Amino acid sequence: MIQTINLQKLFSTEEVETTALNGINMDVKDGEFVAIMGPSGCGKSTLLNILGLLDNPSEGEYNFYGTEVAKMTERQRAQLRKGSIGFVFQSFNLIDELTVYENVELPLLYLKTPPDERKKRVEEALERMSIMHRRNHFPQQLSGGQQQRTAIARAVVAKPKLILADEPTGNLDSKNGEEVMKLLGELNDEGTTIIMVTHSPYDAGFAHRIVNLFDGKVVTENFHV
Amino acid sequence: MFRNYVKIAFRSLMKNKLYSSINVFGLALGMACSLLIGLWVKDELSYNRFLNNAESIHYVRVNFPYNGETVTNTVTPGPLQEAIAKDVPEVAATTKINFSNEVLVKVGETTAKEKGHYATADFFGVFDLPALYGNPKAALAQPNQIVITRKLAEKFFPNGLALGKTLQLDNNKFYVVGAILENLPTNSTLQFDWLVNWKAYEQDWMKTWGNNSFQTFVRLKPNRIGGPTTLAQAEAAMATIYPRTAGKNFETGRPVLQPITDLHLYSDYKNGVSVGGRIEYVRIFSIVALFMLLIACINFMNLATAQSAMRAKEVGVRKVVGALRSSLIGQFLSESMLMSLLAIVLAVGLVWCVLPTFNTTFEKQLTLDLTEPALWLTILGLVLITGFLSGSYPALFLSSLQPIKIMKGKIQLSSGSAFSSPALFRRVLVVFQFSLSIFLIVGILAIGRQMNYLRTKNLGLDRENIVYLPLEGEIAQPKKVEAFRQEVMRQPAIASATTAMSLPVNVQSTSGDLKWDGKDPNLQTNVSCMFVGGDFTKTMNIKLVDGRDFRTDSPADSTNYLINEAAARLMAMKDPVGKNVQFWPGKGKIIGLMKDFHLNSLHQTIAPLILCFDSRNTSYLLVKTHAGQAPNAIAELEKLSKQFNPNYPFTYHFLDEEFESLYRAEQQVHILVNYFGMLAILISCLGLFALAAFTAEQRTKEIGVRKVLGASVTNIVGLLSKDFLKLVLIALVLSTPLAWWALSKWLETFAYREDLTWWIFGIAGVLAVLIAFLTVSYQSIKAAMMNPVKSLRTE
Repeated sequence: MIQTINLQKLFSTEEVETTALNGINMDVKDGEFVAIMGPSGCGKSTLLNILGLLDNPSEGEYNFYGTEVAKMTERQRAQLRKGSIGFVFQSFNLIDELTVYENVELPLLYLKTPPDERKKRVEEALERMSIMHRRNHFPQQLSGGQQQRTAIARAVVAKPKLILADEPTGNLDSKNGEEVMKLLGELNDEGTTIIMVTHSPYDAGFAHRIVNLFDGKVVTENFHV
Repeated sequence: MFRNYVKIAFRSLMKNKLYSSINVFGLALGMACSLLIGLWVKDELSYNRFLNNAESIHYVRVNFPYNGETVTNTVTPGPLQEAIAKDVPEVAATTKINFSNEVLVKVGETTAKEKGHYATADFFGVFDLPALYGNPKAALAQPNQIVITRKLAEKFFPNGLALGKTLQLDNNKFYVVGAILENLPTNSTLQFDWLVNWKAYEQDWMKTWGNNSFQTFVRLKPNRIGGPTTLAQAEAAMATIYPRTAGKNFETGRPVLQPITDLHLYSDYKNGVSVGGRIEYVRIFSIVALFMLLIACINFMNLATAQSAMRAKEVGVRKVVGALRSSLIGQFLSESMLMSLLAIVLAVGLVWCVLPTFNTTFEKQLTLDLTEPALWLTILGLVLITGFLSGSYPALFLSSLQPIKIMKGKIQLSSGSAFSSPALFRRVLVVFQFSLSIFLIVGILAIGRQMNYLRTKNLGLDRENIVYLPLEGEIAQPKKVEAFRQEVMRQPAIASATTAMSLPVNVQSTSGDLKWDGKDPNLQTNVSCMFVGGDFTKTMNIKLVDGRDFRTDSPADSTNYLINEAAARLMAMKDPVGKNVQFWPGKGKIIGLMKDFHLNSLHQTIAPLILCFDSRNTSYLLVKTHAGQAPNAIAELEKLSKQFNPNYPFTYHFLDEEFESLYRAEQQVHILVNYFGMLAILISCLGLFALAAFTAEQRTKEIGVRKVLGASVTNIVGLLSKDFLKLVLIALVLSTPLAWWALSKWLETFAYREDLTWWIFGIAGVLAVLIAFLTVSYQSIKAAMMNPVKSLRTE
């Protein structure tokens, strides 16, 4: 379970100080599917980055599965991130020089998973995302939907407890978007916690709970039953 | 994981073919230069180290006080070697040899001139050279035996064993081959193909302390405490030799020992102490090698950081999926190692290709011996150092990028601000590269100018259209020299001829024996001297300020002298012609005053010179041919030579070649600086080209906006080129004082020189700016021509 208490994030330049997050209190239980919504610039992605241990808050506490991480260094966060969080981005963020298989394999390489086990898990993930037949292709040779499926395969291959998705359907047409959302739904059904930033009310409909942000604050929370 | 690194490195190499080839090619050029210079330096440093007990063998020089300073004689008098053998207990063995000269060797019908020495019996006690057949030590002890090298044995006895066979030296004595040595390696200062016992050569004058003509070597006994003690003890023991045995005139002499491993590189002595020599060039070129490598590595760093925009996303993704900074550093370092591995393969290939030409130019026999572990170690070292040097900055820089910023596309790869660290770093690197390049351009220009000066300077005597031949055999006979000369002068293609003891562009003999009326008894003098025959000034076209040349029909001229203006100044004589002086041949008159001419290389000032008339005591016939008639004259000389001297092959040389050979080291430096200078500029330009491409790419949006607002192509090209030209100008300012200092130092080694002028730096600056502008303008124009709609959309 993850929990934030009075999370604040300030971005300052020489002349301007911008408050991106202003006292976010949020709990996400194991197995929950949470959608974060709000207008552009309300702090959704900033919150997701902090939750994903890519960034530190300026103030406040962040308890990540029992560990206080708000004051951790990049190195400590990187260690903790490894294997416990999977990321899915709007722009897929696959490495162009690696094949589908190699992209999916990457997290396991950093986890030093033994080769046999690695092969098994990569193939499982590829099968699951129905892109096994494209395993030796490079990202540029795939459609947007296939690229996002590869990205999801990469996010799940290490079997993380948490998947963070930043507008995962933003670059996809409706058919591919639907497919991706179904995949995320299935993963959640199997017990993976998912936090997703989205602009799309349709996508948000897949979540158990919608957190609405405005000007860096949580303004409403809606529960789906 | 490593496989993954290699895979991605290889794929990104293939993806950016232009950058990759610039990178690998630049690095390979730098490595090839370093490898080549490395081979040369290794060879220079290896001189004489092949000798057994090399560390205990020393060369003997003698220090003499001279007008308040100390001069160091490179050659020693004959009796010194015997005195050392007798009086210095620290010496295990000592030997003396004459200067190696070519002597006619004859076996049956086969004749050839071969280099060799006459050496005292203990030569092999000092130099433990490997023998193929026979016992060299025993053979050299016999006056009728000769020790030869394998090369000579194979040449004269191609069909069988040479041992025990007979050969004739100089059409005179016969010797039995007593031992055969392995050929001497090229990195040996001793170079000979035969050795004969000293006794066969020794004459009475060689037993005097006043004549310094021989090379003396010693091998010191091993010392339980350590080498230097023995050396100091040996020198201390030798210090008493001159005062005790050399007689009143020479009692101030003090022998000093130079390790034989230093002989090749430390030949210059000043005030009695070794001050360097060829080692300076070894140092300079080691630095050049390092610089070339550095310039190539800088390219790599520049290009890698410049490409970071493309790599940033990958770094971000890797970090997000769990890569630690250390593993990214590892990845980028392995990439640069891979690149440097590719480059070294290319570099070795390049060295392989240019080595034959290099060897010819630098008179070396360098080889890329792939069976030698040292070469592999060097190659490995080059790969590791280059890979690490060039990969470290990109590795540290790229791995430090924040994933969150990259993923948001917010990473500023510092194109915008000139002083953010990677941009500033890149600029510093470009300035550094161009400073070195400008330094080398100035070197090319200044050294070229000095070399041209050396070639064209009026020496005060003719060196064109002068052919010379050694006087040997029949024509060396005192009675025949003059007859031969007279016959030569009768030939239609020949204008004039004279004889001389040494070549007038390189007079080596000096003497302290000149006396004149009113000489201060405390004044020590050292004048150059030469025996010449008739028509010397006429043949050499030396201007006579006063008096006349030697005349063969004037018997009194045998004790008359010609001097140059420097000698007149030394003796403080205003009108020297007719004045009395005393020199080796005896008391006589000065009959002619020659205008000063250069009797040595232009490194030296014109020394006082005295000429003695003696057509018998000479080594060369110098022949002035009519202009354009040299081939005819040579044919005539050959005919006469065969007629007068049938037992010797006809050989001739041109005096201007001898003159050029005085500057061989400088010519080699000139060639090296030219090539390396051009390569340095090429490598720098490769880097600049790619960097310009990167900058243009980074500023696409800015260029688009400017064009939409009305900027012309010229405006944009100016904008993009300005930044780089500024850097080149900074480089010019930085390198000018350094180049000025270094080249002034080099020029100071010449007594006569073309001093540095401002316009050399001007030309270097203009050239550098022009080259840089041409390099950058292609990319700038390309960027400026781009449709702004497209560039704005890209953004």
